[in-house]
Amino acid sequence: MAKIRFHHSNGNTDVLEVPDGTSLMRAAVSNGVDGIIGECGGQAMCATCHVLVHDEYLGHLPSISEDEDEMLDCTATERDSERSRLGCQIEAGGQLDEIAVDLPESQV
Amino acid sequence: MTMRDAPSRTAGPATCPVTSVAHGASVVDDATVVSDIPVSEPVGTDAPVADWVIPQEMMHDPYSTYLRLQRESPVAWVPVLNKFLVTGYAECHAVELDQEIYSAQVQGSGATMIRALGENPMLRKNDPEHAVERQTVNPTLRPKAIKQVWAPLFERNAEHFLEVLAEAGPDNAELNRDFAAPLASQNLIDLLGLPNVEPETMRRWSHALIAGTGNLLDDRAIWDAADTARTEVDELLEDLIPHYESHPNDSMTSALVQSGLPHSNVAANVKLTIAGGMNEPQHMVTNMIWALDRHPDQQQQVLADPSLWPAVFDEAARWLSPIGMYPRETTRPVTLGGVALPAGAPLGVVVGAANRDPRHFETHPELFDIHRRKQPHLAFGSGVHLCAGHWAAKSSIGQIAVPSLFEKFPSLRVDHSRATEWNGWVFRGLTSLPVTWDH
Repeated sequence: MAKIRFHHSNGNTDVLEVPDGTSLMRAAVSNGVDGIIGECGGQAMCATCHVLVHDEYLGHLPSISEDEDEMLDCTATERDSERSRLGCQIEAGGQLDEIAVDLPESQV
Repeated sequence: MTMRDAPSRTAGPATCPVTSVAHGASVVDDATVVSDIPVSEPVGTDAPVADWVIPQEMMHDPYSTYLRLQRESPVAWVPVLNKFLVTGYAECHAVELDQEIYSAQVQGSGATMIRALGENPMLRKNDPEHAVERQTVNPTLRPKAIKQVWAPLFERNAEHFLEVLAEAGPDNAELNRDFAAPLASQNLIDLLGLPNVEPETMRRWSHALIAGTGNLLDDRAIWDAADTARTEVDELLEDLIPHYESHPNDSMTSALVQSGLPHSNVAANVKLTIAGGMNEPQHMVTNMIWALDRHPDQQQQVLADPSLWPAVFDEAARWLSPIGMYPRETTRPVTLGGVALPAGAPLGVVVGAANRDPRHFETHPELFDIHRRKQPHLAFGSGVHLCAGHWAAKSSIGQIAVPSLFEKFPSLRVDHSRATEWNGWVFRGLTSLPVTWDH
C-alpha cells in the first residue's frame, strides 16, 4: 500500500492509502477527493487531474512524456515549471510509497 | 461518489420488466428473475417505473421529462424504451467511471451503433481493446495538433461558408443549412482526410449513420439510409486505406491505418467518426447562436470581451447538450442511485438530463449563465470514452466558427419571422435556425 496526501487550496488535506500501482488521479476519483476531475480517464487528453508535487518527491517521479508535457500547457491553473504533473501519469508505490501534492485552485 | 437513499417508488402496479435484457431472462416476477442471475449483491426488480414517459414529447422538448425523472428517481425503468434511464449527475458519472460494471459493449436492442456501422467501433468497446484503438487517434486530436495543423483549416473553412451564408442573404439565410452543417462537414472531411468528398455527401452520411445509431424504434427507412451510407464509405475506404499505408499524413484515417489496426477496425472507427463528428459540432454552432440570441446581455458581454467565448461554448454544451443519451449495460448486479439493477440491465445514460441536475449544479441549472461557477459537465462524456474530438470542437466551433459569424455580421440575430425547429433527445439540435442581419 502507498500513502497519498492531497493538499487542497483551502487548507484541507485528504490522505489516502491505496494499492501500489494506483495512479494519483484514479485514487482521487475513486475516493471522492474534490479538486481532481480526471475527465478523460487517464489517457492524457484532458489536463483535469493537474497536481503540484511537493519538492521532496520530485526526484522519484517518472519522466514527463511528450503527451503529458503538451497537456500540462492546457491546465486551467497555470503550470508550474518544476512541480506540475498530471495525476494520471504518476503511480503511487515502489519508490513513491508516499507522496504529497497540492491541488490547484481550478481544473476546469 | 455517493449513492443517494432509495427514492420513493412511483405508484402503480407496473413491475420492472428486466426480462427484456440480455442473458435470456424472460420473466416478469421478481423471484424468477433473481433466480436467473448469479447473485453477488442484493438484486431486485423493484426499480421505480416511469410508464408515463412519451418519447414523441421528448423529441420536441425532453427537459420537463428529465426533471420529473430526476424528482421521482435518478434511475428508473422506462418501459416504452426498454431501458433504465439514468438521469442524475452522480449516477451518470458513476456509470462513466466504471467500465467493468457498466460495459460499453451493449447487446440486443441497444446495439444499434454496430448495426448502423456494420462493425463494432471503439465507442462500444471497453479497455484494453478500446484503448488500443483510441490511442491511435489521440495525438492528432490533442491541443498542439489542433492549433498547428487543424486550426488554419478550420479558419479557412469558416471563411468559405461565411461567404455562402452572405450569398443566402439576410432574408433567406438559414444558419444550419448555409453555415453550420456544411462547415462541420468540411471540417470533418479534413480531419478524417477523405479526398473528393463533398460537404453535402458527408452531411448525408453522418445523418444517416447517426439516425441508424439512434434508431431505437427500428424504422426500416432509417436502416436503408444507413446501409447506403455505410456501403459508400466502405467503398471509399477500399482505396483509401492502402493509400494511407504508403502516404501517411496528419489525418485521423492515416493515423488509424498507420497504427497497424486491421482494416475492419480502421473502417469501423472512420464510420464512427463520421457518425459522431459532424452533427454535434453542427448543433453547437446553432445552439450557441440560439442561446446568445435569447440572452442579449450575455451576448453583449462576450462581444465586448472575446475571452468569454470558451465559457459561452462550455455553457451551451451543458445547457443544450447535443448528445442527450448513450447506452451502457451492466455486467453484474449492482445498486445505482438506490436502485438494484440485475446483470445485463440495459441503461440509457442521459447526460442531457445530468447536465441540468439541480443536485449537482448549484444555481438554476435550467438557465443559461456563462458566469456560473465552473463545474465539470458531461456533454462530452467522461472517462475513457471522453469525446476524442473535444479539443477540435472547442477550437473549430467555440474559438473560430461562432466568433467569426459576429465578426462578419455584427448584427447577426435569429429571424423570428421564420420558424425555428428543434428535434430529438438522444441526439438533439436545431434542424432550422433562420438568421438575419442588417443590410
